[in-house]
Amino acid sequence: MGGGDADSASPIGRAQMGRGRCFLETAGVEASAAPQAGRASEAGRMNVGVAHSEVNPNTRVMNSRGIWLAYIILVGLLHVVLLSIPFFSIPVVWTLTNVIHNLAMYVFLHTVKGTPFETPDQGKARLLTHWEQMDYGLQFTSSRKFLSISPIVLYLLASFYTKYDAAHFLINTASLLSVLLPKLPQFHGVRLFGINKY
Amino acid sequence: MFFSPSLVPPSHNIVVNGKECINFASFNFLGLLDNPRLKAAALASLKKCGVGTCGPRGFYGTFDVHLDLEDRLAKFMKTEEAIIYSYGFATIASAIPAYSKRGDIVFVDKAACFAIQKGLQASRSDIKLFNHNDMDDLQRLLKEQEIEDQKNPRKARVTRRFIVVEGLYMNTGTICPLPELVKLKYRYKARIFLEESLSFGVLGEHGRGVTEHFGIDIDDIDLISANMENSLASIGGFCCGRSFVIDHQRLSGQGYCFSASLPPLLAAAAIEALNIMEENPGIFAVLKEKCKRIHKALQGISGLKVVGESISPAFHLQLEESTGCRERDVKLLQEIVTQCMDRGIALTLARYLEKEEKYLPPPSIRVVVTVEQTEEELEKAATTISKVAQTVLL
Repeated sequence: MGGGDADSASPIGRAQMGRGRCFLETAGVEASAAPQAGRASEAGRMNVGVAHSEVNPNTRVMNSRGIWLAYIILVGLLHVVLLSIPFFSIPVVWTLTNVIHNLAMYVFLHTVKGTPFETPDQGKARLLTHWEQMDYGLQFTSSRKFLSISPIVLYLLASFYTKYDAAHFLINTASLLSVLLPKLPQFHGVRLFGINKY
Repeated sequence: MFFSPSLVPPSHNIVVNGKECINFASFNFLGLLDNPRLKAAALASLKKCGVGTCGPRGFYGTFDVHLDLEDRLAKFMKTEEAIIYSYGFATIASAIPAYSKRGDIVFVDKAACFAIQKGLQASRSDIKLFNHNDMDDLQRLLKEQEIEDQKNPRKARVTRRFIVVEGLYMNTGTICPLPELVKLKYRYKARIFLEESLSFGVLGEHGRGVTEHFGIDIDDIDLISANMENSLASIGGFCCGRSFVIDHQRLSGQGYCFSASLPPLLAAAAIEALNIMEENPGIFAVLKEKCKRIHKALQGISGLKVVGESISPAFHLQLEESTGCRERDVKLLQEIVTQCMDRGIALTLARYLEKEEKYLPPPSIRVVVTVEQTEEELEKAATTISKVAQTVLL
């Protein structure tokens, strides 16, 4: 799987093989016709500042060139920063990485709604979270799969490094559930108890 | 019925189907369509800048005349800023969706013109219609909305509310009750969009529109939109208001960003028309007098009733009793129009896209009074219409 294991191939090779060079569309194909991370739509080729006819650019952010790699590097950076704090043990550091990553993901993908810029869609995306806006609501695109799998990978790593301790297990599992449930297609547009509706 | 067009501007005297008529059909309220000063200004601009601008305002289509005209309009209306559109219909149809989006609520009069209806359709907002000029109905709707808001205050905080009215309604010739509207605005916290296409250059002491007519502070109205195709005898439209409001349209007004800008010769003509309006403010009183006169003269016609205010220069003549079928009504009125045309008075039926209008007004003849019509011509028109109506309707 392309984006997940950043330790294998060299970063330069990864980036070149990565986004934007392929013209095949994976959107809408449920099965793994996308063994590589590189099967992106043309938005991967959209550069900053060029004219485009994208109604809501928020929908294409997670498909853009280099963003998966940047995301992985950011998580790695978080982990390294936490590791450099002297009084945290390794299990604590991994649990903290997992929890902080999931918290940030929950806030940015499932809490913040709308767009920071004006869009010509007359406010269609005003009440939608970023996850719901991704690819205009199309499910099981490669970016959605990537962002669903990355907390799971972190969870597995955290479980291993905390030696399956009970307390850490509870915290990590709760955190993982909080970030996996909103990603289910059944939860698209659902607001429990009217929280975050407007 | 199709009348062959003539290649002369539709000014005071026009030739329709080979007959010379006095024009009671064109919205040439101040008679500026054939004004030599306007023509000279337009020709001078034509020699300097050419015909078209070949671009929208944001892409090499802004000329100094555009900035001048915006400046002059803002100064004339005593607002902070004005913005020009190159087509009158597109002005209000672009202004409304620039501010009102999905989930917002717009309270509109049922007699709103087609351009407003298209703007509302493009905005995808919730539309609440109130009966024409019925402030009690509007208050009822606003109260209901207030109760809804109290049930869900979070939703209310992100919902914008607008009231869209016309100064002088084109479909009925009546004036909106602006003082009550401003009171309702402040009580129920809604923004007012005023469409002044027919009242700009007509109402008010200096022609500034319905706000001057009622003596209301112009800052109470959030957006005034008007087209320049009536009193100003040009093409296009403008919106004016506070800079904070108008500046938003420079990026969000679809008709502003994505249409070629107004040809500079028309902008120059509009500036000249504004000059004329500022130089002789007496024409507005003259126009009002003429309107009152013909209104009174047309009162007693059997079979036709006059719909519209006495100072409205564009009013309607409807059948007093409809025959029951709209087509037959239209045929009768068309017969009146044709016979009037034979006797030298050019009138027109009010035309609508019948399938597209939300509240189709009843068929009517629209009579337009201009400053150029003399009193004899007004008398002649009144007698002609009454004689023709008697022969056709009885």
